[in-house]
Amino acid sequence: MAGSGAVLEDSSLLSRLDRALLPLERFCALLSGLAIFSLMFLAAYSVITRKFLGSPMMGYVDLIESAMPIIAIMGVAYVQRDGTHIRMDMLVSKLSGRTLWLFELISVLMILILMAALTWGSWDHFMRSFDCARPWCSKDSTTDIYLPLWPSKLVVPFAFFVLSLRLILQAWGYGRAFVYGLENPAGVPLNLTVAEQAAIEARAVQGAD
Amino acid sequence: MDSISIGLWVSGGMLVMVLLGMRVAFAAGMAGFVGLVWLRWNGYDYDPEKFSKALTVSVRIAGLTPQSKVSANVLSLIPVFILIGYLAYYAKLTTALFEACKRWFAWVPGGLAVSTVFATAGFAAVSGASVATAAVFARIAIPEMLKIGYNKQFAAGVVAAGGTLASLIPPSAILVIYAIIVEQDVGKLLLAGFIPGAFSAVVYAVLIIGIAMTFKNVGPPVRGFTWKQRFESLPPALPIVAVVVIIIFFVYNPFGDAWGTPTEGGAIGAFIVFLMAVYRGMRWAQLKDALLETAKLTVMIFTIIWGVLIYVRFLGFAKLPDAFSDWIVSLDMAPLTILICILLAYAVLGMFMDAIGMLLLTLPVVYPAVMALNGGEYVSAADSAFGMSGPMCAIWFGILVVKMAEFCLITPPIGLNCFVVAGVRDDLTVQDVFKGVMPFFLADAVTIALLVAFPAIVLWLPSLVG
Repeated sequence: MAGSGAVLEDSSLLSRLDRALLPLERFCALLSGLAIFSLMFLAAYSVITRKFLGSPMMGYVDLIESAMPIIAIMGVAYVQRDGTHIRMDMLVSKLSGRTLWLFELISVLMILILMAALTWGSWDHFMRSFDCARPWCSKDSTTDIYLPLWPSKLVVPFAFFVLSLRLILQAWGYGRAFVYGLENPAGVPLNLTVAEQAAIEARAVQGAD
Repeated sequence: MDSISIGLWVSGGMLVMVLLGMRVAFAAGMAGFVGLVWLRWNGYDYDPEKFSKALTVSVRIAGLTPQSKVSANVLSLIPVFILIGYLAYYAKLTTALFEACKRWFAWVPGGLAVSTVFATAGFAAVSGASVATAAVFARIAIPEMLKIGYNKQFAAGVVAAGGTLASLIPPSAILVIYAIIVEQDVGKLLLAGFIPGAFSAVVYAVLIIGIAMTFKNVGPPVRGFTWKQRFESLPPALPIVAVVVIIIFFVYNPFGDAWGTPTEGGAIGAFIVFLMAVYRGMRWAQLKDALLETAKLTVMIFTIIWGVLIYVRFLGFAKLPDAFSDWIVSLDMAPLTILICILLAYAVLGMFMDAIGMLLLTLPVVYPAVMALNGGEYVSAADSAFGMSGPMCAIWFGILVVKMAEFCLITPPIGLNCFVVAGVRDDLTVQDVFKGVMPFFLADAVTIALLVAFPAIVLWLPSLVG
């Protein structure tokens, strides 16, 4: 299975767009990380208030459930950008040149079709709970502290839209590589061998201990 | 066309997409979405005018799945466990743990290797990431073993195999994922992993001692530590023990009511490791890195979860799991033989696929079949084929498949732990590590056989929880 790969940069328009989208993707991923960090404090606080102060925190479950889409989905484009979403690379790792880029292009276009459908579907899901004629613009809410549900539903089409932008750039990158027969195209994650991935894993933990 | 045929075609299509290198999460989501459209349009007799209706309904079903499925309190356990792992590196717990294990266990034959196994088991428990554990211990433990004359391949094998112990000992993210997919009690599954995980470590240790006693030059014991030195080594390693114990007490407290939910236990554990990391010098830059890495891994796992759940939604409509279960039950073979065949199939599949991807893609079909083999979800122990109730069978099977997934981390051709150890050490080739890890295949085979033959090893702890 393949893990993350390197993304090359150059002075082309594609690479500049890639670098322009990256800060937004990284910000989304960092939001996800900060939400996880907050979750740690929230759960610890909930235990302390319940165990030692005798008063369980109101709306603990509501808050967590509302934050879960940020935690689980917000960073989806950032993960796609560097190729961290896992895949079986037995066949792809044997390919090179135009054949490889064609396979990658088809794969990315299929994902783009899926994400277009899911962005539409998740937007529809959001719109069903959003109504500005009601308090907090909300048709539905959580059970304990009545948090409106639409913000957490809106996270999904937003994250999927950013992912769709990333997929368009990757389709462009693979298409360009296919047409021009490039060896190391910019703006797309390059495939790493298991050994190269292992070396990255090893480097990632060097110095931490 | 009947729904089962559509289910088979779509599942076959998904397999082709996965084999052709499409990201697993999206291949599953795509298969689910296409399947939903196909099934619905099939229901309209492929009337061209009704295609847009079939598409709209399917888009709605698929589109609500990511938000509705990830917004569950129980799922918050996964990011918390992953966060513990990343913070643990900055808390610099590995050296402390290895030192403590060395002082307590290195006096036995093969002592340093035994210490490495216990240290990797302990650290793997909090880090939850097998490959990263193998990478860290390749740097810490292998030089010490080589210094006192250990065989190079054997030392590398010990580290690669030790790293696999992460998946069972709590906190284990993969067990949480299993629990979610099969809709079983997360707490009981986490509890169930503890004894098999510790048991696997003990089997490794016994194997190492046996090898060291048979081949005198393989692993000489290290003596000379005083009791004072031993006790002095414990406090720096305590956060690891604290995390494991806290999580267990939050699920099952033998002295009274459980302290809370597993997520709360994980959060308290993460908080302890976070304080330790800050004490050991972690600052905003490192914390930001840890949070980004945690987010990446979390999102990657959740993308597979919602992708697979779209596929599962389609499978439910297509009734494919029911058909597969009926077929499995109708086979003229003993249920245990079929179960062993399923486990062997996982061993083969795991040679080529990542553990999480493998489990998530196969469990929606395989799990109902295993439950049917035992007599159904709600069967009592007395009426069942494996001598355990439905929920207990779910726990037992979960531990078995996760153990199989662990096993695949050290099997050729893509046993990732072996590549990591070779990647860290310039003096070792991947072939060296694969040779060194071979005895541990035997140990794992023995462990799995014992877990199959004596389910009580798995089920005793969860059976204590009401």
